[in-house]
Amino acid sequence: MNDHKSVGIVMIEDDEGHARLIEKNIRRAGILNDIRHFTDGTTALDFLFDAADGPAKSGPALILLDLNLPDMSGTDILARIKAEGSPLRRAPVVVLTTTDDKVEIQRCYDLGCNVYITKPVNYESFAQAIRQLGLFLSVIQVPSAES
Amino acid sequence: MARISLKLPQSEGRIARWLVAFMTLGFVALAAAAVAIGWITVRNARYTADILHTQDVRQAIATLQVEMEQSETARRGYLLTGLPLFSTAYETTAQRLAPALTALRSSTHDNPRQTARLDLIEPRVGQLRSLRTQSIALVDAGRIGEAQRRFAVDASVPLMRSIRYRLRAMAAEEVRLLEIRSDRQQRSNMLFLSVAGLAALLLLVVAILAILVIRRYTADLGASRDRLHLLNETLEDQVVERTADLSRANDEIQRFAYIVSHDLRSPLVNVMGFTAELAEAAAPLAALIDRAEAIAPEIVTPEARIAAREDLPEAIGFIRASTQKMDRLINAILKLSREGRRSITPEPVDPAAVGDAIVASIQHLIDDRGATVTIDRPLPALVTDRLALEQILSNLIENATKYLQPGRPGVIRLAGTRERNRVILSVIDNGRGIAPGDHQRVFDLFRRAGPQDQPGEGIGLAHVRALAYRLGGTIDVVSTLGEGATFRLNLPFDLRLQDPVA
Repeated sequence: MNDHKSVGIVMIEDDEGHARLIEKNIRRAGILNDIRHFTDGTTALDFLFDAADGPAKSGPALILLDLNLPDMSGTDILARIKAEGSPLRRAPVVVLTTTDDKVEIQRCYDLGCNVYITKPVNYESFAQAIRQLGLFLSVIQVPSAES
Repeated sequence: MARISLKLPQSEGRIARWLVAFMTLGFVALAAAAVAIGWITVRNARYTADILHTQDVRQAIATLQVEMEQSETARRGYLLTGLPLFSTAYETTAQRLAPALTALRSSTHDNPRQTARLDLIEPRVGQLRSLRTQSIALVDAGRIGEAQRRFAVDASVPLMRSIRYRLRAMAAEEVRLLEIRSDRQQRSNMLFLSVAGLAALLLLVVAILAILVIRRYTADLGASRDRLHLLNETLEDQVVERTADLSRANDEIQRFAYIVSHDLRSPLVNVMGFTAELAEAAAPLAALIDRAEAIAPEIVTPEARIAAREDLPEAIGFIRASTQKMDRLINAILKLSREGRRSITPEPVDPAAVGDAIVASIQHLIDDRGATVTIDRPLPALVTDRLALEQILSNLIENATKYLQPGRPGVIRLAGTRERNRVILSVIDNGRGIAPGDHQRVFDLFRRAGPQDQPGEGIGLAHVRALAYRLGGTIDVVSTLGEGATFRLNLPFDLRLQDPVA
């Protein structure tokens, strides 16, 4: 990833273990960017839109989003990010969740999600998928947030 | 469609019971009235006979008196004139006297008072007769003067008076009896009339009650018939409704299974992931122990060596094996629930063709296991989901080839019958069978029966049952341990008619 622009990775994932495993496997793919982890939707939205060091106020960001959150659905966050006039509407959003429901996947792409990944049940596949995502992240271009 | 109850309301039943009780009571009273009327009639007849008897007695008294007077008149006429005309008249009347007396005695023998009077009259009549006979004999002999003289002094007149007096008493007695008996008969008649009137009234009441009861029962019968008719008409609807309920319940379980298995995956990914991390972390530790043992053996304690080389790998191995098993089970549930959520498309299906396709696809398995599969022809065609039916029959046939009785080549048959609007497909085998206690259990998820000598997670039949429910059907098994099993799949003939929610 474009290190010189210091793209922050925002991970919204309610399962601490998953978050840790995702982070470890992304690191193993050679990604060194800063990763901010949130376990619920409310604090994540606060950080994304209102924090002084958040993506809306400073610097580009890439968002890893789980759909099953305790306080709101991931699709609500996705809708907020991709809404008309949102400063983050061009920020890449990777939905990384256990749901493989066709309707849910369609809905996420309709809302503007950039990549939808189903977490594999098997850990080996899971680790591999995250590492490949890490490799993918290392090559994509991320636009800056609009001010 | 509302549920229909065949039960009568409580109050109606009670009223009907009361009516029947009243009616029974009415009939008993009627019978009693009839007996009473009969008894009164018999008594009346007796009273009438008594009155007639009294009249007869009075007649007999009168006759005796008349005969006695006439006989006396004839005697006196003969005494005065000596004409044979009177003699003949006397003979005739004197002859009648004895029978008249006998008749009176026989008709009054039941009345001691009359008998007592008669006892007084009879000797007097006898004396009178002998006096008369003497008079007649004297006149016959031409001694009229002597006869007349004797007549003037003999006891004839007082005797006559005495007899007359007693006969009058007898007549008076009979009049008294007549009065009593007439009175009794009148009272009896009155009783008869009132009892008859009462009976008529009773008859009227019973008739009204009977009409009421009959009307009520007729109405009840009519209502029952209507309800039966309605039940009959709605039976099919009810079956459809129940099947829809079953299908809904099944859907719910499928959704539940999906959510549960889905949510179970998340922690499992963690357990597996961190176990992998642990295994990775254990490798450098083991290497460190190796190095330490080579360079400075004194710092390596036996506990550390065992922990790094045996305990850690063993623990990780067990965690891995268990999580992998759990992973398989959860995947199986997930697969099951996914199958359950697949949409059903009814189309005309020939089960025999489906069977052929299955046999062709697992022919190598069948051959390997030394079994033969035959398919009855023709099998009843039906409208259902082809893929679901294929999966059900495939599971059943494969199971049949799998659980053979050792030492007996497998013979498997697919048969079918049509019963009204249901089609029953049977997979019959001669395998090792299922113990009766396990007939339900084999359809439960993760449950298996018999020796666990074949690979499997205990999912196949659970899947089959879930699919059967989705097709608006049921499945059961009939089996004797060691003699084979018959799985019977009962499906609607036409799934489109069966499934109003589809």
